[in-house]
Amino acid sequence: MVYTKKHPALLIIGIFMVALGALVDFGLMDGVISYLAIKKHLAEITTLPYIFGSVAIVVGLWHLFGEHKEGHLDYYLSTVAGVVFILLIAMVVRWFAAPFIAVLSKSMGPVMGAKYLHEVFGLNYIVLGILTGIIIVNFFKVPSWAENGVRLSRLGLKTGVVLLGTLYSLAELQQLGALSIVMVGFFVLGSVGLVLWMGARRNIPNSMGGVLSAGMGVCGVSATVAAAPVVQAKSVEIAYTIGTILLWGVGSMFLFPIIGNILNLGHVQFGAWAGTGILNSAQVAGAALAYQPDGIETLKVAEIFNITRVLILPIIVVWLAVWYVKREESAPGVNIAQVAFQKFPVFVVGFLLMFALSSTGIFSPPNHYKGKYFDNDIPAEKLLTEQALTTLKNEQQKVQRAARQAALARLIENKKLMSIEDDNTLRGLINAKVLSKEANAVLKKAHKAVRHTAEKIKKFRQFIVWLFAFGLTGLGMQITFASIKQAGGQPLVIGGVVGTIKAVLSLIVVVLFVHETI
Amino acid sequence: MFYTHLLLASHGTPGACAAEVAAFNLCNPDATLHHLIVVPDFWKGMLGDDWLNNAITQIQYGKYVECELEKEIQANVNRVSAEAKARKLAYSYEFLLGKPAECLLKVANHSRFDLVVIGSPRPKNKEGLKSRMHCETLLRGLSIPLLIIPYPDEV
Repeated sequence: MVYTKKHPALLIIGIFMVALGALVDFGLMDGVISYLAIKKHLAEITTLPYIFGSVAIVVGLWHLFGEHKEGHLDYYLSTVAGVVFILLIAMVVRWFAAPFIAVLSKSMGPVMGAKYLHEVFGLNYIVLGILTGIIIVNFFKVPSWAENGVRLSRLGLKTGVVLLGTLYSLAELQQLGALSIVMVGFFVLGSVGLVLWMGARRNIPNSMGGVLSAGMGVCGVSATVAAAPVVQAKSVEIAYTIGTILLWGVGSMFLFPIIGNILNLGHVQFGAWAGTGILNSAQVAGAALAYQPDGIETLKVAEIFNITRVLILPIIVVWLAVWYVKREESAPGVNIAQVAFQKFPVFVVGFLLMFALSSTGIFSPPNHYKGKYFDNDIPAEKLLTEQALTTLKNEQQKVQRAARQAALARLIENKKLMSIEDDNTLRGLINAKVLSKEANAVLKKAHKAVRHTAEKIKKFRQFIVWLFAFGLTGLGMQITFASIKQAGGQPLVIGGVVGTIKAVLSLIVVVLFVHETI
Repeated sequence: MFYTHLLLASHGTPGACAAEVAAFNLCNPDATLHHLIVVPDFWKGMLGDDWLNNAITQIQYGKYVECELEKEIQANVNRVSAEAKARKLAYSYEFLLGKPAECLLKVANHSRFDLVVIGSPRPKNKEGLKSRMHCETLLRGLSIPLLIIPYPDEV
């Protein structure tokens, strides 16, 4: 089979991208850039369209005029059209659509405290990218020339997770790992058990209970896909379950950031809540990036929870397989080792490998660490001004914890951060959103004065965010209303009850017991 | 009134079973009954946004769902063909993946039929998969008589 379509779309997209890059490069879009306040994206807008546009033009010419023969080259090059299509959507959304919505939202004034409408609803480039994907697949259909490439969005997400492994410190991984094991362990087992219990009370078939408990308890659609053959779920049960999970997942992606904003949750708190309470793993990443579009702290927390969930998946599938065999005489025997081996998420090994390599310092560029905690020759303009100090002093009484109080007092006394420990403590204070926006801005300035992140690291982080944006936009193109509409039957009732209990209880646990330490 | 070439669209739901009964009752003794089973195209989206599983798991799932759907189709075919055999009618069947109305139009307009028989949409309070026959598409596109049998509860 020849996969490449003789279609001009890729070539046209390539020309459009290069033209966009040139327009911005030559200053012909300065007015638009200034109106949308997107100067911070200028470096991206003047490089990415050239790179991907050039690739698209070359491959697009080959698509249109080349002779295509069956084989690996044909298949791999056929995917370029879909990849570039998703990238184009992600670019337009990140650089133009999301900033435009922000401008509109700001023109309406703050709606919740100092927050604007788009901030409350988390309407940033990630959520808008997913939404655009959903709109495309449901109202226009994914073009046939893009279908192969759209499937690669999964690879983008997995690569993003693997590379994210380089950004954790051992302490973070230990701390977040322990927290996620406790929370995910409790809520996964709790919701699996609750679904099975409710299923038995409502007399649903074991196959339906099995597939629903995996989906509701572990990681949504992925768990349903893994468990359905093992518990011999009927087609209608699969459709009900996946419909219910997608409905919940997409709803949660919008609802969680709003609730997080209302409750002023910190990044660790929100990441932990989303990682536990949102049923579907793709929407966990979406909600985390929706909550914090310009940073990856929330994503880092949420992804640890996602990884813990996916590591639990083979265990739950094996458990359900054994549970099902015991209850159904007609069920075929189960090879536990084979099931566990097949369901093991290999990309998690990549994540751990990248973390291990990173902890050796292999990825740190020379002079990456430029801590100036002990440096007394910091230029005066980098020290906190009297006005900034007054802002902090006025809010000192808001800080409850002794360690934070002490770190803040030392900062006020010295006009600069004096140790890594103080820096970490006060970053926790920023994330906890205890202080006002102005006071947090002062703390961030104090952090920047002593801690410098190398340009390469910044770009690397941006690259990871792009991978997630690419992956999630592509996944949006795989969420069809037709499948969401299948939500129904007992799975909708049981799923609704268990999903709500899980989301509410995990929120309570997060608010009461999870604090900012990342 | 009896017919010689009937097209029956059914997929085992109560509404479709009512259509089967009606179709058999409308057949001439020497009639041919062509049975169309549509696998709704929402199944193409039933991998959803799964991204965590590896290719083996996704392939296993795909094969499993395909087998399940095939089993359901076979059960349908067996039931209708047994009845056709009992009535000594010529029976044939085919199944298509797509939107119900579009598939029905494709088959109806491709061969010569005297009558198309389908069941009514399921009442709103009844559980079931959401893949309805789009009647407007059907009515605009059909050039032969269409018989819609009332849902059994409403008879």
